[in-house]
Parts: sequence; structure tokens; C-alpha cells
Amino acid sequence: MSEHLDLSQVNVDELPVVPNPLLKLEGATIQFGGLIAVNQVSFEIMPGDLFGLIGPNGAGKTTCFNLITGVYKPTGGSIKFEGNEIAGFNPSKIARAGICRTFQNIRLFGALSALENVMVGGYLRHKTSLLSGLALWPSAIRETEELKEQAMQLLEVVNLTDVAHARARDLPYGKQRRLEIARAMATNPRLILLDEPAAGMNPQEKEELKEVVLRIRDEFGKTVLLIEHDMKFVMGLCEKIVVLDHGEEIAAGPPSEIRSNPKVIEAYLGEPV
Amino acid sequence: MNLGKFFAVRGFSVAVAILGCLALDYAAQTYLQDYIVRLVFLAGIYITLAVSLNLINGITGQFSIGHAAFYMVGAYTGGTLTKFFYDASPLGAVAWLIAMILAGAALAGVAGLLVGLPSLRLRGDYLAIVTLGFGEIIRIIVINQPELGGSSGLGFAPKVQGLWLVWLLAVICVAVCRNLLKTSHGLAFLAVREDEVAAQAMGINLTKTKVTAFVIGAAFAGAAGALLAMNEGYINPDLFKMDVSFLILTMVVLGGAGSITGSVLAALTLFAIPELPRLLKIDVSLAYLIGLTAGAIGFVSLLRHHQQRYHGPKAKGRMITVATVVGVPLAGLGLGWLLHTFTYLSDQTYELNNLRYVILAVTLIVVMLLRPEGVMGHHEFSWKWVQKVLTGRKPVAEESIS
Amino acid sequence: MDALFYTLVGIDLNWSSLPQQLVNGLVVGSIYALIALGYTMVYGVLRLINFAHGEVFMLGAYTALLSSWVMGFSPDAIRKFYESEAAKKLADPSYVERSIPADPFNLVIMILLAMAVCAVIGAVIEFFAYRPMRNQSRTAALITAIGVSLLLQYAGSLFLPASPPPSVAMEVNPYQTNVSVTLVPAPKEIRDKFDDSVSALEAAKESGADAETIGDLERKKNDLEGQVAATATAITMTQGKIVMLLTVLVLMAALRFLVLKTPAGRSMRAASHDFDSASLMGINVNRVVTFTFMLGSALAGAGAMMLVTFEGTSMQPFFGMAPGVKAFVAAVLGGIGNIPGAVLGGILMGLAETLVTWLGFSNYKDAVAFVILFIVLMFRPGGLLGSSKVEKV
Ligand SMILES: Nc1ncnc2c1ncn2[C@@H]1O[C@H](COP(=O)(O)OP(=O)(O)OP(=O)(O)O)[C@@H](O)[C@H]1O
Ligand SMILES: [Mg+2]
Repeated sequence: MSEHLDLSQVNVDELPVVPNPLLKLEGATIQFGGLIAVNQVSFEIMPGDLFGLIGPNGAGKTTCFNLITGVYKPTGGSIKFEGNEIAGFNPSKIARAGICRTFQNIRLFGALSALENVMVGGYLRHKTSLLSGLALWPSAIRETEELKEQAMQLLEVVNLTDVAHARARDLPYGKQRRLEIARAMATNPRLILLDEPAAGMNPQEKEELKEVVLRIRDEFGKTVLLIEHDMKFVMGLCEKIVVLDHGEEIAAGPPSEIRSNPKVIEAYLGEPV
Repeated sequence: MNLGKFFAVRGFSVAVAILGCLALDYAAQTYLQDYIVRLVFLAGIYITLAVSLNLINGITGQFSIGHAAFYMVGAYTGGTLTKFFYDASPLGAVAWLIAMILAGAALAGVAGLLVGLPSLRLRGDYLAIVTLGFGEIIRIIVINQPELGGSSGLGFAPKVQGLWLVWLLAVICVAVCRNLLKTSHGLAFLAVREDEVAAQAMGINLTKTKVTAFVIGAAFAGAAGALLAMNEGYINPDLFKMDVSFLILTMVVLGGAGSITGSVLAALTLFAIPELPRLLKIDVSLAYLIGLTAGAIGFVSLLRHHQQRYHGPKAKGRMITVATVVGVPLAGLGLGWLLHTFTYLSDQTYELNNLRYVILAVTLIVVMLLRPEGVMGHHEFSWKWVQKVLTGRKPVAEESIS
Repeated sequence: MDALFYTLVGIDLNWSSLPQQLVNGLVVGSIYALIALGYTMVYGVLRLINFAHGEVFMLGAYTALLSSWVMGFSPDAIRKFYESEAAKKLADPSYVERSIPADPFNLVIMILLAMAVCAVIGAVIEFFAYRPMRNQSRTAALITAIGVSLLLQYAGSLFLPASPPPSVAMEVNPYQTNVSVTLVPAPKEIRDKFDDSVSALEAAKESGADAETIGDLERKKNDLEGQVAATATAITMTQGKIVMLLTVLVLMAALRFLVLKTPAGRSMRAASHDFDSASLMGINVNRVVTFTFMLGSALAGAGAMMLVTFEGTSMQPFFGMAPGVKAFVAAVLGGIGNIPGAVLGGILMGLAETLVTWLGFSNYKDAVAFVILFIVLMFRPGGLLGSSKVEKV
């Protein structure tokens, strides 16, 4: 499988040099007791990709995200970000390295306002010391103002300026999902992972979300890796897709190929075709 | 931002704080009775303790319930150093007191570091029992050290009162926590409280944040301890028992975890409740004691039962406030009046002074039943907030950063 | 090895007293376990640390005491009785003084009363103080629990006799005789010397030696008797403690049966597994919670009654706190919410405390619980038998 992917990368003839992959999984594996949730998964994401990760329920997609972001330590294989091994790093270090994510079961800071949630995202770029904060020094005040401004801009991108001061917990589901994206964007990552961003949204909201994701990629120049169950959404948005089933990678390639891949159809429909 | 103006304002407010505390000190010494001065002193101490625990508990969400341990470390640091080194030191009494405050804060900060580290691995109740246990271990170790006075306590000279320093410490403690919440630095602490996994995913270093909260909170408690020791000239391990930890914790929760003004108000109230009856010479008959206790708790409890059954668990409203304000005294006095007909119950009387802790306990239960999120909830005190509470409107999410 | 230990920490180990200490530890531990069960069951169902549990225990002890007074063992009655006995003795020197006949039946009534009263108190506390807090934050519920605990302590100190004479143990308890088992007898030379001294004494008495010689010999005999006792490895305990251990065993077996084999127990386990789902599945969770509180409180009541009757512990309205906290630590040690864990934790704590005493650090007895807890939690953050669930993300 990984060979196949490599070849497709090399095919980009116009480029004088083959670009280095932004994220590279090689045989990433994790085992929970007797269950191998992710088994020898390998793929590469190039800078600027809009990459999809799909598979039936329990396939190991979220677990894959957890491996990449350091929530779980892989029991085998390697994960390289910009050529550096990051497997087993702690999550905050990985976030600082430039990978940020959203969560399938939304994990906002419930009691904080939408704006404050996004400001937390910007926290890792803080330059002033805690001491200046405790003393309410001008530099800390200024930095807070800056963070607030940036957060406001991001809220605009996801269309949430009107609820900036509402408590995150009180927002409707769809807005919470978009708020999570804004929060992740605020860390200014190079790679952003979205775990089922369209779950629970109506068709119109999904269309809006599509716009947002495209903007993130095209306007902000982020690389996007997303998990989604809505095939129409994924196929219409992603340029490359990897399919997992029972923790194993069963297919990879552009949407057109995936759509007609018998293994994928079998995995989803549960019977050989 | 205009830097010149900033420093002018800052300089002015610092000056006001220091002068205010000095004025308070002077006024208290001149016009108040000794034991009231002592109350003013202790009020400052308890504000510091409550607000510093709030930093750990309410703001950072680490369920630490053994705050008296840090208080004790500070007190014994001050006491021991004074006993053995004061005579040899060239410092004057006030300079020595300030040195002791710093030393107490430093050592308590180290203790905070020690207790903070397990918080990385332990959650919730497990962390709670570890923090409580830390206090007990320290206390038992001190009891068994004859050099530290053992269980009979440690006496030393000189006694330095430093009322103004106590209040200055309280002001600094409140200011530091408020500043933290005013800048984006505070957001890291709040994020850890709200969701550790998400906070880490946002690049927040859990270890650093939690341990920092513990160290700062402990240092303030230690400073308060040193001041207490120097004021009394005598300390013993019983002053730092578990009950004290519970009292501080209660102040934090009663005021509303995360609300600094809430902690301050609760510290003052809880501290006053056991002290006020001393001033009033009232006898209460057993009938009214039972009536008021059972009436207040029973009424509020049944009110909540009713409310939960018919309006859902989170129901709130003005009616509840009204029902409580009218119902509690009515139910209490009514029941008391009924019981009063039994001569056995009406003959026996107690001085209000002896009922101090019963009153405290009943207040605690009633307030928690009525406002489980604490009097202030997550909010800070503001007149807008008071208005909202009085008019019974649902408080709209407010910005804590302005 | 003893010598090494001595040079290292300066403590001379007395191996022959170890078995005795272990048994003492077991006895204390079984009471801790009984109290810890109440903490753990409530925590399992409600995730609430019931800080008032120690006060329920205290009230159980007072119930036992006051019921013994009602049954005719009040300090007044006892004093009068002995005065009249003394009068009889004066009139007739051959009269043998004896106590009021103690009847095991009294003990049964006392323990049942203590359990019943505690169960009712537990249920009342739950209804008024904890039930309205059920959907609220856990810190708030904890503060309410602290409030209840304070209320019971201070209201108790108004109404209850402060440190009453522990007459219960002296008078009600018929099981005061010591039972002794010798594991390793004293060294032969000492026993021989003792035998010699006995025969020498007898010989002297027979030969009609003067009082001074007999006194000397008698002193020597007593001295040697003491040496024999000190060098023998034996376990001595009152019959009462054996009764106590057996009762604890019976109560635990009953609890196990109740939790594992009865419908009420099944509901309890369901609620402790997932409270909300249990209530959605038609289990009357209110009844389950009341039942849990009653069960836990009754066990605490039984423990309290046995502690005052068989151990003769003296009481005051604040004395529930210390065993309460220790039992809570025991519950956490075993893994809070886990019933066998509470028993294991309680017994380990009892053993640890007596072992520390045996090592000569009896001053640190109260700290050892926490030290062990720290060590265990560092390696097993969920306690010994508890699972430390990793949060699924
Ligand atoms: N911490 C864990 N401990 C044990 N098993 C786990 C853990 N996390 C995930 N699993 C298991 O790993 C498997 C894959 O789970 P995962 O959440 O990655 O699936 P998914 O592909 O994201 O599914 P879905 O589409 O439903 O979100 C599941 O069987 C899950 O139960
Ligand atoms: Mg998933």
C-alpha cells in the first residue's frame, strides 16, 4: 500500500524536487490488551494535502489521531512529523511542534466563553512570562489583547462572532464543532486533524463547513487530515483518502479509486462483492 | 497603551494599598479592643488562605483539601527560625517578620511542589486524600520532634503583630489571582480545570501548570502561617488540624469555586459566623435549637426535592429565593414554637456562644442545598451581577477577561 | 539480621511478640474494614465521599452505650451494686464479690440496636442532605457532607455525655477471660528454672520455713514466671476479640450474599456500574441509594458497638473522625468503590499500624496509613484492587 502511495507522489513531475512529507506514518501500531486497534498503518501526508481517513465504526481512526497527537503511545512503528520522530512525545509537545486537532466527542472548555476557548489555542505562542501576568505588566496586557484580536478573527472564519461571549457549554452542537476548529486553528498548526467535523450537522451546515475547511487549506495554507463518515462530504472534499478497517489499512488513493475499490465496499457493506 | 500612565496608575494603587493597610493597622490598634484586633488579623489570614486555595482548587481544578499543611509549614518555619536565630540576627523586629514571611512562603512553596507532583498521576478524590494525608503526616512528624516543641507546642520571642502586613498579604494574594485571570496566562489554568486532555492538545504543559498553581497557592498559605506564628509567639500542631483544612475548603466552595470575590466574602462570613455569637448574649432553648436546625435543613431540603421532581435538577428562579427567605425562618420558628410546648425542651437552654459551630454547620448545609455552585458561582462580584440575581434572570455568560 | 537492624535503626526487635501484634492488627483491621465498607459502597453508587460516616460510627457507639445503660448497666446502677456488694462482704467475709451477671443476649440486643439506629440515621442523612445534591458538582456534595459531619459532632457534644466511663466493656461483656495459645514455648533453661523455683517454694512451705524465706521464694517464682511469659511466643486475647472477629466474618459473609445473590444487591451493583443507565433501566435508584446508606451505616454501627464493648474504647462526640478518616484511607487503599478492596485495605491498615508499633514507632502509628497510601497510589493510581480507568478520548 505504502509503495503505491509513494509512486503517486513521485508522479508529480512538474516539481524539480520531491517535497518531503509533512507527516509520515510507518507501521504505526497500538494494542489495548488483546485488541490491536491500529495495526501496521503507513501513509504519508504532503504539505498542502486535504487528506481523508475513513472506515467503518471502530476501525481505529480516532485511535490513529490519538497516536499522532500523543494521547496514546504507539506500541510499534514510527510517526514522523517534518522528518522528526514524534511517536511517544507528550501531547503538548506535539501541539507545539505544529499538529493540532479537534475531538470526536467535543471537548471544549465548557465554562469559558467561545472567545476564551480560541484564546487558549493561542496560548502556546505566548512570549511573556507567567510573572508578568501575575503582576499585570503592560507586556502581558498587550499580549492578551493581541490574542483576543487573533481569536476574534478566527471566530469570524468559522462564523461565530455573534456568540463570542457565550459560554461554550451553552452553544448548539454545530457551533461547538466549528468552535473546536477555530480553537485548533488558533495554535497556528501546520497540520490540523479534524475528527468527524460534520457529525450531527444538517446538509446546509455541512456545505458551510466544507467552505471553512477549504478556506483553512487554501487561505491559511494548512494541511488538513480529516475523519468523516459522510461519504459524500469526504469524496467531495478530500484529494487523497486512506481507508482503515479493523485497525488495518485496506486501501489508499484518490476518491475515484476508493469509491470503486471492492475491499472498501466489502468493509462498509460487510460482504464480498 | 500609554506606559507613563500605566506606571502612574500602578504606583498610585500600590501606594494606596500599603497606606490603606497601615491606616487599618493604626485604626485597629487605637480604637478596637484587643480581641477584635485579633479577629481583624485572622480575617486577613483566612482571606489569604481561601483565595490561595481557590487558585489550586477553583481555578486550576485540582481537588486539594489539605491546605492547612502549607499553612503549618509556613508557621513552623517562622517559629523555628525565630526561636533559634532571631537573637543572632542583626534584623529589627519588622524586618525579621518580613524575612520570616518570605522564608515561610519559600518552604511552603517547596511543600507545594512535593504535593503538586502526584497531581499529575492522581485525579479527583485520590488526589484529595493524598493532599489531606500530607497534612496529617507533617503534623505527626512535628508532634514527634521535641526540637519543634512536640505536641505541647513551640514558644518563641519576639511576638510581632504586623496587622498591616497580614492585610497587605491578603491584598497581594487577591491581586495576583485577579491579574492571572485578567491575562491570557490564567486561561491555561482554567483550561486545565475544564479539560486536561483538550488543554494538552492545545499545547498547555500540564505538569508546569498544575505544579505552578500548587506552588503559588502553597507559598501564600505559608506566608500566612509565618504571620500567624509571629503574631502569637506560640504555635502548636493542633492549630493545623484537618478541621482547619476543611474550613478553608468550605470557604472556597461556599464562595463559588473559581470566584475570587466569592472566596473573600465566604472567608469573612464563615469566619464571622462562629465569632458573632460571642458578642450576643442570647440564650436559646432546646426547643428552638432543634426547631431552627431541623426546620431550616428540612424546609430547604424538601424544597429542593420538590423542585427537582417537578422542574428538573438545574431549575432556578426567583420563587426559590423568595420561598427560602420566607420559608426557612417560618419553618424554623414554627417548629420551635411547637416544640416549646414540651417543658423538657423549653426548660433546657444553651448560650448562643456554645452553639457557634452548630450554626456554622447548619449555614453550610443550607447554603450548599440552595446554591451548590457556591454563592457567587463562577462569577466575580459586580453590581450588574447583584442586579441579575435579585431580578432572578438567568445570569448570561460574562467575560472574565476584559 | 537483628543485629544488623539494630545497628541500622537502633531498634531491638522483639520477635516473640510479633504474632501477638499481628493478631491485634487483624482485630483492629477488621473494624476498619467494617467502616471502610460503608465508605466504599456509598462511593461506588454515588461517587460521594460520605464524610459524615465517621459520625454515624460515633452515634453507633453512643447507641450501644446508652442501650447498655437502659438495660441496667448505667454507671449509677453499677456503683450502687458494688456498694451493696461491699456491704455484704463486710457482713460476711467469705462472700465473693461478683459483677452483675452479664448475658450474651444483652450484647445481641445492643448490636442490633446500634445497627438499626445507624441505618435510620444514614437513611435520614441521605434523604435530607445528599439527595438534593445528587445532580450537583461533587465538591458541593462533599462540602454538604462536611457540614453534616460538623453538625453531628457539635450537636452531639451538646446532648451526649462527654467521655462517659467505658462501663460497657467492664460490665456488659461476659467474654473477658483471656485465651492463650503458645506457639513457641520459652527456652528450656528458663522453664526449668521456673519449675525449680516452684518446687523450692512448695518445699519451703511444707517444711514450714519462716515468712521471709517464703516471701523471697515467691518473689523469685513470680519473677521467673514473668520471664517465661516474655520469652515465649504466644498469642493472648480475650474471648471477646474472638467473638468480634467471628461477628465481622459473619457480617461480611452476609454482605457478600446480599450484594451478590439478592435482587437488591443486583440493583446496587447495577447502579454502581452506571448510575444513569440503571435508572433508565427501571431500577428505583432512590431506593438503591437508601439501601446502600442503610447497609453501610449498619455495618459502621456494628463496628462501633464491638469496639466499645470488646476493646473498651472510650468515647466522646468527636471520636468518630479518626477511625472515619482511617477507614476512608483504607477504602481508597483498596480501590474506592470496590467491596473486597475495602476489606483488604482495612485489614492491611490494621496490620500496618500494629507493625509500626511493634517496630517501636508507635508515635507514628497514625501517619503510617497515609504513607502506605502514597506508596500504593504512586504505583497503582486506582488503589490495590481498583481499576485505574484510562479515559477514552
Ligand atoms: N483506551 C482504549 N482502551 C481500549 N480499547 C480502546 C481504547 N481506545 C479505543 N479502543 C478500541 O479501539 C477500537 C478503535 O476505536 P476508534 O475509536 O479508534 O474507532 P473509530 O474508527 O474512531 O470509530 P468511530 O467511527 O466509531 O469513531 C475500538 O474497538 C475501541 O473500543
Ligand atoms: Mg472515532
